[in-house]
Amino acid sequence: MTVAYPPDNHLLRDLRFSFEHDHEGLRSRAWMPVVPELCTDLGHARAGALATLVDVIGGGLAASAAAPGWIATADLTLHLVRAARPGSVVEARGEVLRAGRTTVVIEVGLVDEHDAPIGLATMSFAVLPRRDTNPEVATIRQSASTMALPESRLQRPLLEELGVQVRDAARGEIDVPVVEWALNSMGAMQGGVVATVAEVAAETALRAAANEPLVVNDLYVTYLGFGKVGPVRSVVEVLATGTGHGSARVELVDAGAENRAMTVVHAVATRGLE
Amino acid sequence: MNENHAGQDAGHDVGRYMGVSMQETEALRIVGHAAVAPHLLGPAGGVRTGALLTMIDNVGGLNGGLAALPDGWVVSTNLAARVVALTHTGPLRLDSRVLRRGRNNVVTTVQVHDEGAGDALVASGVLTSAILVPENGPPQWSRPLVLDAKAGLSPDRHLPPIVDWLGVRPVGADAVEIDLAPELRNPWGILHGGVVATLVDVAAEHATGGGLTTDVVLHYLAPNRVGPVRAHARLLGERSDGRVLRVEVRDEGADRTTAIAIATCRAR
Repeated sequence: MTVAYPPDNHLLRDLRFSFEHDHEGLRSRAWMPVVPELCTDLGHARAGALATLVDVIGGGLAASAAAPGWIATADLTLHLVRAARPGSVVEARGEVLRAGRTTVVIEVGLVDEHDAPIGLATMSFAVLPRRDTNPEVATIRQSASTMALPESRLQRPLLEELGVQVRDAARGEIDVPVVEWALNSMGAMQGGVVATVAEVAAETALRAAANEPLVVNDLYVTYLGFGKVGPVRSVVEVLATGTGHGSARVELVDAGAENRAMTVVHAVATRGLE
Repeated sequence: MNENHAGQDAGHDVGRYMGVSMQETEALRIVGHAAVAPHLLGPAGGVRTGALLTMIDNVGGLNGGLAALPDGWVVSTNLAARVVALTHTGPLRLDSRVLRRGRNNVVTTVQVHDEGAGDALVASGVLTSAILVPENGPPQWSRPLVLDAKAGLSPDRHLPPIVDWLGVRPVGADAVEIDLAPELRNPWGILHGGVVATLVDVAAEHATGGGLTTDVVLHYLAPNRVGPVRAHARLLGERSDGRVLRVEVRDEGADRTTAIAIATCRAR
């Protein structure tokens, strides 16, 4: 059975991504307009929003590279070096670095309209046997050049749309419900959203620990299991803080599924980017 | 890809050089200990980040391998660590736990603490390994496993500094290179993954004019079999915590890219 994904009312449509694929399925480009609803209080696009762009372009490339098999995301890394401001468009350039029997590795460069680097991301995937419920790769590669429908757009700031609730700022404990708007094709919280939850948890704890408005610019997300029930809950260990930077280790669990481990994330926060 | 296959004698020079003793303290948990030895020190005065990465790879890889038994053994695919303390007293304790044992991969976490500095956190790392079946089957171990780093070593041994031992030479302003010497190979005859990590560390340091590597994310893409092996660093940008670089590792003799990494270097 082939499933329709994403539904009309969905995060990936509201982020207004557009795509361009090469014929061999080894390279893709994608674009995301930066709107204020995606930005931190320092005025640049959240790492989690950019991770969502990376996740989508990387997942499409990996699915292509692993065909006829299917894939499970193993990890996602993102390092940001320049701010993406509202009104600009971020371009993601994805490339398959390795397509082996058991793993696929993707690199995604992020640049602005002037070709200046915003950041660099990588993803790796485990190759799995295909199931009937997995989307067809041909569907991905031959889909329209944008996921957005005419009415698609964020109505509120991303964290409000996701329903982020801070339980304990100093400990970085937050709860986020698992909602249809932000599911992946397997019915679990979408990978970029998982990164966003970890980003917010790390940022909350690091701001409290460092007493300055740090923002997360590096994420190293190791995916362990799906978040299907919710709420997704975070626990943060602040690893270190220094002048103008801090790092944290975040664990996410699916609290509604007996605290099943979902993700371990290492995050680095710095002062705002140029 | 970095192939971990401990338990046989050949190809363990890198492990001996690092000097990490390891013990299986409970199921899915390995605890390692290592001295802050002079030959491992880096420019900040503590154990060089590349050496810490090698230790994390050793301990996490062994733990992942034991978790993969009896189905197979493991090859490292990704290694990442954030180093938060650059000066160390020692001994270092490396505590590894299995986060996930899937059908075809194992994820282990390794936390490094400085027991001589009030058990302060030194580094936090994650190693992902793919499960493969070696040609001659997975290695056999007596359990619970105990590996003594000093076993078989002369007590008066003198080990050269790590950069000299690896034979690192600069290539221009932004690359370093090594030959694929026999002692740098693992039991499969390819370059040890920890050496690749150290090469990334040294390349980032070299390209930043002496920066201190604090953060590395490394993807192993293919084995280094021929050499020389070159790591080329390219600056991506600068932030309040240092410079961020992309490092590409190539087996020049085989004309292929074997690893990519992203590293952050703090100014000294």
